[in-house]
Amino acid sequence: MTKHDASRRAFLVRAAVGAGAAAGAGLVPDAIAQNHEHMEGGAATSGAQHPSGSEHGAFFNHADAATIAAFTERLMPSAPDKPGARDADVLNYIDLALAGAYAELQDFYRRGLAQLEAYCRGTYKEPFVRLNPEQQDEVIASLENGKATGFSYPTAREFFSTLRTHTMEGMFADPLYGGNRDFVGWRLVGFPGAQAVFTPTDLQNTQAFTREPMVGLQTIAKGPAGRG
Amino acid sequence: MATEKTDVVIVGVGAVGGILAAELGKAGMKVVGLERGPRLTTADFNPHDELRYFQRQDLRPNWKRQPVTWRPNTGVRAHPMNVLNYGNQAGGGTVHYGTLSWRMHEDDFRARSQTIEKYGASAIPQDSSLADWPVAYADLEPFYDQAEYELGVSGKAGNLQGKKIDGGNVFEAPRKREYPLPALLMDQSGVLFAEGARKLGYHPFSSPRAIISQPYHDRASCTYCGFCQSFGCHVGAKSSILVTKLPEADATGNFKLLTGATCYHVNTDNSGRATGVSYYGPDGSDNTIEAELVILAPFIYDNTRLLLLSKTDKFPNGLANSSGQLGKHVMAHIMAKVFAAYDDRYVNIYMGPSAQKHTIDDFNADNFDHGGLGFIRGAQISIGPADLEAGPIGTAMSMDPPPGTPKWGAAYRDFFAKYFARYGAINAQTENLAYADQTIDLDPDVRDQWGMPAPRVTYDWRRPNERARVEFLMQKMEGIAHAMGATKVWRAALSPGAPGAHHEGGTRMGNDPKTSVVNRYGQTWDIPNLFVIGSSTFPSMSGFNPTLTIQALAYMSADAIVKRYKNRPGPLV
Repeated sequence: MTKHDASRRAFLVRAAVGAGAAAGAGLVPDAIAQNHEHMEGGAATSGAQHPSGSEHGAFFNHADAATIAAFTERLMPSAPDKPGARDADVLNYIDLALAGAYAELQDFYRRGLAQLEAYCRGTYKEPFVRLNPEQQDEVIASLENGKATGFSYPTAREFFSTLRTHTMEGMFADPLYGGNRDFVGWRLVGFPGAQAVFTPTDLQNTQAFTREPMVGLQTIAKGPAGRG
Repeated sequence: MATEKTDVVIVGVGAVGGILAAELGKAGMKVVGLERGPRLTTADFNPHDELRYFQRQDLRPNWKRQPVTWRPNTGVRAHPMNVLNYGNQAGGGTVHYGTLSWRMHEDDFRARSQTIEKYGASAIPQDSSLADWPVAYADLEPFYDQAEYELGVSGKAGNLQGKKIDGGNVFEAPRKREYPLPALLMDQSGVLFAEGARKLGYHPFSSPRAIISQPYHDRASCTYCGFCQSFGCHVGAKSSILVTKLPEADATGNFKLLTGATCYHVNTDNSGRATGVSYYGPDGSDNTIEAELVILAPFIYDNTRLLLLSKTDKFPNGLANSSGQLGKHVMAHIMAKVFAAYDDRYVNIYMGPSAQKHTIDDFNADNFDHGGLGFIRGAQISIGPADLEAGPIGTAMSMDPPPGTPKWGAAYRDFFAKYFARYGAINAQTENLAYADQTIDLDPDVRDQWGMPAPRVTYDWRRPNERARVEFLMQKMEGIAHAMGATKVWRAALSPGAPGAHHEGGTRMGNDPKTSVVNRYGQTWDIPNLFVIGSSTFPSMSGFNPTLTIQALAYMSADAIVKRYKNRPGPLV
């Protein structure tokens, strides 16, 4: 790992933890109290356990990566035993997708992020990543219902909808694509991956399916397929 | 630029093209098939990958390079639809489809007459162009049988030569013999659905599917992995054209498949005869095939588009359009959905063949009395995952949370984590009526990667008859969900007017050249050596998935071409 990678990684870990980590740096001290669940998730999982970052940089610059990490984490928040976007490394999924399969959406994201920042600065005098979780949720809701001002292309609704879609892809697509780290998304919902066979007994099972292993494209998950 | 000669050229080698290639090849006719996509194999479909095949639609047309645009009415500009649910490879849609294989009811072939006889002409909406087929069920029965047995369909008969059989579909039209393969195993969702439906006096049964429940014709049987809709089958148990008719066509020695070949023009001469087609090769080359017989068998949009693009001085409004009916009477199913979720059990809906697993036919066609209901025709009602495919991405896209639960945030995460494996979606696949102003034409603004105008669909399902039917069905489905013992029951949002699945129409078949484009064999009235075969010829759509009917029509057309047309080319009717 180069020095650049290391510092970038450190930045992105902070960014991905979002307002909680920012609060730790003394930027928005109210954030922790306002989102207990969020803080616990951040405290439990930041650092070595989720070394997001070294593989980032395929598309996003640092600031945009931080915004996407914070935004997607609000869409699918992390909590103890409930992995969210940060745990799944949704940021990495989207970053790689925009450098590859979704390259045609680069401009969509650039403009969407610029409009998001302008809206946040106009409304709250701060960029999205510096808002506390409740404010971030207000912003996301205003995108979802189309009330956020200043959006043309993409529209606020389009930007929300695409980010939601890509967050779900990053949560639940095979880990090969850079998200769903260690199958956390599949564990969250109890999906066992691409099993080659279900038996007649499986088909009649009224309980959670927990037979090992989970089956991914290149990897077989350790541990039970059921919820962690 | 290459030119070659052949007896028959088929444009599109899917559900129809594969059958005609095999049947005409066996009869000694030299056949060239043009397929714009690749020819894949069963080995290509392992491993399964929801992102690639479902979400990114890898086995379907790329909607940006091969756009189809839609607008709800003529007053607004059309935009490309971002999901195209038809095939883009040899085998066509049968490679990735959900495999539902229905025979239409007897009254589905005469919906107009049936309605008038039972409810009076005023029951048909004034603006609807509902029409009878020029084919009766009895005409098609031998070809339904042939398709079921040659391809391999699993199911249980509910009406054997008029004798009703419990456990099968007692509303089905009489069949001469049992299905070639027993019904697929039931999963939990089927058990729950069947119990609930029976409590209400309905008649549940395992949906007939082109998936082999036992080894058949040297093919391995289903493993119940659940990756059907949107996916190719990794063991070849799905009876796609890829593993059934294409090998047969190859074995005739008379069939040549050209992949990466995009047909852009049907050529005709001054005598009004089709002389062949022109196509772009995978290298961008411009090529021509001269043929005695031209058969168009792509998905419905390209039938209308090709005929419009191929206009000449002799055919100024497009080929085969002396009736002015080309591109009209377009229909699509929409899915009305009710979710049934459980706190006290798992359903594990991702197990087993994914699409429309168990069915009731009690509210389809004219199987129930429509008197006083304010609408005609019905829907097949079935249980399955939210979007016919049960992986977590598709479910996150299609499983609306219940009212009061947001679509994101901690509450959504908890909802999704709890119910992903604890729900079933009850679907009504509605028989939306034909209306002449539901059309396909050429988009003046949007072009595809070849520079050809995109097909443009003008369509809005939200007509009074259709809205009334959906509300009726929603209530029935809520009743079933409660009878199933679900803890939570809620409705999915309805689509904003856009066509759903199984688009049909545009080259309507009929008995009268003045009001239809093709005859019962798909032969165009105007150009006897030009055929159009597929769901674009359907005069009405039924509440059933169209593929088996498309395949039966292909067998019927092949039979007429081999037995009659081959020796004496000319009008078959």
